[in-house]
Amino acid sequence: MLRFSKHEITINEIIKNMNIPDRSEYLKGLAQTGQKIMGVLPALYPRELLWAFDIHAAEIWDPPGEILHANAHLQTTICPVVKKSLEFILKEPQTINAGYLFPHTCDSLQNLGTQVKDLIGVSLPIYTFYNPKGRFNNTTIKYYQDILINFQSILEASHGPLEPEKLKAACVLSHKIDTYLMVIQQARMTDHLSLSNHEYFTLMRAQEYLLPQDYLSLLEQVNILEKPAEFSRARLMVSGILPPLPEILVFLDELGVSIVADDLLAVSRRIPKFAMDPPGSPLDYLTDRFFVLPPCSTRGGDLDERVHYLSNRLKESKAHGLLFDMVKFCEPELFDHRLLVKTFRERKTPVLTLETELEDHISGQDKTRIEAFTERLFEIVST
Amino acid sequence: MADLYFSGVDVGSLSTDVSIIDHGGKVLSEIVIPTGVNGSEAAEQAFNAALKLADLTRDSITGITATGYGRASVAFATGKTTEISCHGVGAHHLFPKTGTVIDIGGQDSKVIQIDRQGRMLDFTMNDKCAAGTGRFLEVMANRLDLNLDELSSPLNIEGDSAPISSTCTVFAESEVISLLAKNTPRKEIVHGLQRSIVNRIWSMVTSIGIEGEVTLTGGVAHNKGLVALLEEKLGLTLNIPENPQTVGALGGAHIARRTYQNSLEADSI
Repeated sequence: MLRFSKHEITINEIIKNMNIPDRSEYLKGLAQTGQKIMGVLPALYPRELLWAFDIHAAEIWDPPGEILHANAHLQTTICPVVKKSLEFILKEPQTINAGYLFPHTCDSLQNLGTQVKDLIGVSLPIYTFYNPKGRFNNTTIKYYQDILINFQSILEASHGPLEPEKLKAACVLSHKIDTYLMVIQQARMTDHLSLSNHEYFTLMRAQEYLLPQDYLSLLEQVNILEKPAEFSRARLMVSGILPPLPEILVFLDELGVSIVADDLLAVSRRIPKFAMDPPGSPLDYLTDRFFVLPPCSTRGGDLDERVHYLSNRLKESKAHGLLFDMVKFCEPELFDHRLLVKTFRERKTPVLTLETELEDHISGQDKTRIEAFTERLFEIVST
Repeated sequence: MADLYFSGVDVGSLSTDVSIIDHGGKVLSEIVIPTGVNGSEAAEQAFNAALKLADLTRDSITGITATGYGRASVAFATGKTTEISCHGVGAHHLFPKTGTVIDIGGQDSKVIQIDRQGRMLDFTMNDKCAAGTGRFLEVMANRLDLNLDELSSPLNIEGDSAPISSTCTVFAESEVISLLAKNTPRKEIVHGLQRSIVNRIWSMVTSIGIEGEVTLTGGVAHNKGLVALLEEKLGLTLNIPENPQTVGALGGAHIARRTYQNSLEADSI
């Protein structure tokens, strides 16, 4: 089903060829069937709990369109992920019918939840979910389990009592999806996946809006090659919040650069670092899953642990360089960024930083940056 | 490799520069013309002028590398390479001990680290603002009613300089208007502008570090006051090419030459 396509084809064609439905059309169709849909802001939340209440989580990361009305409510130094989310919410889309969930990913998103609830006012319920910030220990485990139970109670108040079997089934489904994603991720790193950069990230990001059963069906159809494909392409690892803009992904494909590994909040940082046992007790499973995710600036992780993780990924994927694609004004990420760049420069890893405001297209300067960086990578390939 | 010639065509935002070299790397002609509104036409015009100056025909050029922001518009090029790599290679051929290149171009500035073969190792570029670029000086020259030559005149670096922002061209222009309104001597304002660019460049240099000798390229290298301030700030003597504007084009010509040599080696394997 999934196949390698020419880079010149449009983004819509890529989605069509891979049999992935368009995001807004899919959600619109789903809402028309009476499906409960909750708008969920980035990044980490107990999706299994929502599924157990028959609520579909439609994630809101970077809705298209200009930021106009959101600017009236937010400071200029707020990141475009938050601004675009608010712009989307202010349009009161019909597809979202079960409320909005604001995880505590950063202070801006946390405050946005408060603003939307108390100041701006929307007719739908607003939920918050305050992830623990810190490492795996008895305190953070207890705190996480407490907020899971609390969130369950809040959902029960609106959607009726939780059926334990449904939660267990949701955990099994989540485990299956994770297992497939880990295999696909590994296949990407070892050239066992014939997908362009854009196709790969379209596939990985489809989980943001497809029903879990539909997403699982899609993953089951991904063709993992028996032998690694022979590529004379430069290999790149990308770090940041979201994958680079579609135009950049296509441009990298044209330049002969494959993104073979990532450290993106929207993608790899939401996939467990290693295989987990099949779910037993849902509460334990959800807790374990949260703490086996890769290190992340938004969870207040240890920087050394992050450097170690990135180094391993670079080594495992044989990436020739590291691209930091930074969302402008992303506080948690920018705190780590400078030290990460310094560390990898000292290790002689070619590093490039781009800054995005989630525009529709890339600037000429950024194209030059990417091309020059690619020239450097190909020097390494040729030696 | 007798009678083989190579060229680099650098279509920049302000000027289009062409360099033609022979198979031994000797420079035969160099041309700089304003780019204007049509990069493709400027490339054609500059290339023809460079051919004429070198007394060559178009057919005699074996390889042509297009570079600069308008590199995609050079239809007659045999290859294209970013100006970042080209400036590294060009600076290396002029000053072989170069380890760091500072290029202050029309719309952007870059600090490039290169290895002993002139290959780019790392670089940094200014971002989304003309502060610290040739355009910055052009805007300010207009505001001060000076031409670029007058703005480039040697200045006493010990003299007073007016404080001017180094983060934004628009804000800096407002500051210049305020300074003029306060009858601040133009010399002090010019000095302040140069210091502003130098501060901007210095922050880029510190983010990437200095290796080896430092070569300054781009038209702004003609500005003697700025060069003196930059040398003072960096605490070293800069290599200043005779034609700093054509270093990118020269690097392009050498890349075309190297590509041709590599293709010969590949054929002989």
